[in-house]
Amino acid sequence: MPIFDQGYQHWSGQLSGHAWSWLTIARHGVRIGSKGRALRLLLLISWIPALLLVFLLCLWGLLERKSGVVAPLLQFLTFLHPEIIADPRHYRLEVWTICYDYFLLTELRFSMIVVLLVGPNLISQDLRYNALPLYFSRPLRRIDYFIGKLGVIVIFLGRIIILPCLIAYFLGLLFSLDISILRDTYRLLLASIVYGLVISLSAGLLVLALSSLSRNSRYVALFWLGIWFVSSVVGGVLETADREQRQHAMYQTLSPPKSFNYGPQSSPDQFNQQMAWHRARQKAFENFHAEEFRAAKGNWRPLASYTANLSRVGQQLLGTNAAWEKLGQLQPPGQREQFLLLFMGPQFPWIWSAAVLFGLFGLSACILSFQVKSLDRLK
Amino acid sequence: MLFQFEGVTKKYGAVTALDNLSVAVPTGAIGLLGPNGSGKTTMIRALLGLIPIDKGSGEILGMDFNRQQLDIRRVVGFAPENECLFPRVEGVEFVAYAGELVGMNAKDALQRSHEVLDYVGLGEARYRKVESYSTGMKQRLKLASAIIHDPKLLILDEPTNGMDPAGRDEILELTRDLAHNKGMSLLFSSHLLPDIETVCDYVVLLGGGKLLTEGSIQQLKQVHNRSFELRLKGDSTAFAQQLSNLGCTTELRDDLLLVQIPDSHSSQMLWEVAAQQQQQIRYLRPQRSTLEEVFLKAVEKT
Repeated sequence: MPIFDQGYQHWSGQLSGHAWSWLTIARHGVRIGSKGRALRLLLLISWIPALLLVFLLCLWGLLERKSGVVAPLLQFLTFLHPEIIADPRHYRLEVWTICYDYFLLTELRFSMIVVLLVGPNLISQDLRYNALPLYFSRPLRRIDYFIGKLGVIVIFLGRIIILPCLIAYFLGLLFSLDISILRDTYRLLLASIVYGLVISLSAGLLVLALSSLSRNSRYVALFWLGIWFVSSVVGGVLETADREQRQHAMYQTLSPPKSFNYGPQSSPDQFNQQMAWHRARQKAFENFHAEEFRAAKGNWRPLASYTANLSRVGQQLLGTNAAWEKLGQLQPPGQREQFLLLFMGPQFPWIWSAAVLFGLFGLSACILSFQVKSLDRLK
Repeated sequence: MLFQFEGVTKKYGAVTALDNLSVAVPTGAIGLLGPNGSGKTTMIRALLGLIPIDKGSGEILGMDFNRQQLDIRRVVGFAPENECLFPRVEGVEFVAYAGELVGMNAKDALQRSHEVLDYVGLGEARYRKVESYSTGMKQRLKLASAIIHDPKLLILDEPTNGMDPAGRDEILELTRDLAHNKGMSLLFSSHLLPDIETVCDYVVLLGGGKLLTEGSIQQLKQVHNRSFELRLKGDSTAFAQQLSNLGCTTELRDDLLLVQIPDSHSSQMLWEVAAQQQQQIRYLRPQRSTLEEVFLKAVEKT
């Protein structure tokens, strides 16, 4: 007797509306994605910076409380200005901001790899296996499908960006035992969540658009690498070339006089000339750094890099530049620009980066809308 | 009424897939017949609201397929022609996922998934990855995914394509059981006439995007009062010759003699001729049209 003679039972349960069907797709995508060993390992590794963030915030909380536990660690904090160590509460927001900024910068790199592992298959696999009818012959709309697929990326990136930020924040709060920390830093928590969402939505929609362009996920992965890696290299090369050009021009103006005599037999005139040249050189360097700092405010070259744009928006959301500027006040006036130039990074208007990301977002949405049009375009 | 189309036209560029199609189909097991490119798949997609139509209107299970697509898909199960199974999931997981996409909660979907997999005969293979399934198993898995939410109408697009005879029989038996014993209406699209004949009671024949004919299979395979099939004990050639002399049209097909009697005579003449030639008629019955003949005639008209 064939097995199907066991019979067919009617089902009379309730069907929910399509409002949550995206969640079904997202949950399924996460379940499938989590089966990959490489991804699981990467998710684990990406929590190492989170542990470091938790450690630093907790350390700062203990430092604010002048806890004896941190006394042996003070010898390792000599790179900090003594004023900061003396009054850590005053610099709380700045230190937290910078810690979050470094953490998010690291996680941004990890998130690009996570997207590389998870994203390419999301739509291209459905195209390759003609699985779109499985979705669209059921009560869900195209937007539900897209949101569900995007949800997969957001969930994975949320795990490595937003979740650690939240945990670190609450642990930092617990170790400081000071309720005023909420007043000082709640904006930082919100900013890190918003920034996490910006990364997730931007990278997610972009990789979905790429995924809809090909049935072969390897090509999609290569596209993604191109956008991430190649654009970063191009941005870096443009920036370096520009800086080298200015540096070269400065060095040309600083070539030592031909009559320079560096030996012990140099005359007082020669010595004075030498000293004047060194002073001029020092001044030129200071001017160069000041000029670099000013030039950084209008330097458009990092815009070529996708991650630099994300990073720039993140800096703006977190208020990293303001934090560095406050710490820069502790530096001697002549070294302030150099300090800021070293730590602040690109200073071009954040709105440029936001516009680039918004443009990519719109382009991705258009590609998705065109490529996945219901079943009209299928065989 | 299961579904009806009123003047539906759908064009893909210069190609007219459905050409002012009007048809009303009763509930039951419906066969959708037609040669390749006749508009069967487009008709199914229009029914499910998967494609916008250019002109006309229609409804399925009392719902307008131009406006109530999501409601329609809630009560209809669809197994497409293409494989549409993505790898790295187990059979039971795949079917449960299909149920969740319709709107079942996860627990119900998983429980129901086990039930329907048992029903389609994949109980033993439920924990195998779908990429390891044979073609027949994949078809049954698609069927299970389509019926997981117990739809009122099951639409199957070429479900026996590429299957071996045993697998084909299993699918036909399952679909016949669903349509005739489980109260589920069925729209079975195929260009394989025996499949349609095995499963369906009613047939809609499309050609060039137009309705060629429709009706119950019993009606279409009408009895011909003046055409007979007969078998003799002895030599049929002389018998056929004498009938021809009397104005009959005869055709010898294997050991069967097909005879068409002129209007001026009745079937009595067959007995009379047999008596004259001292032949024994061992088999005699009025000729019926086969579905194949109906199909070919209708297609010839276009």
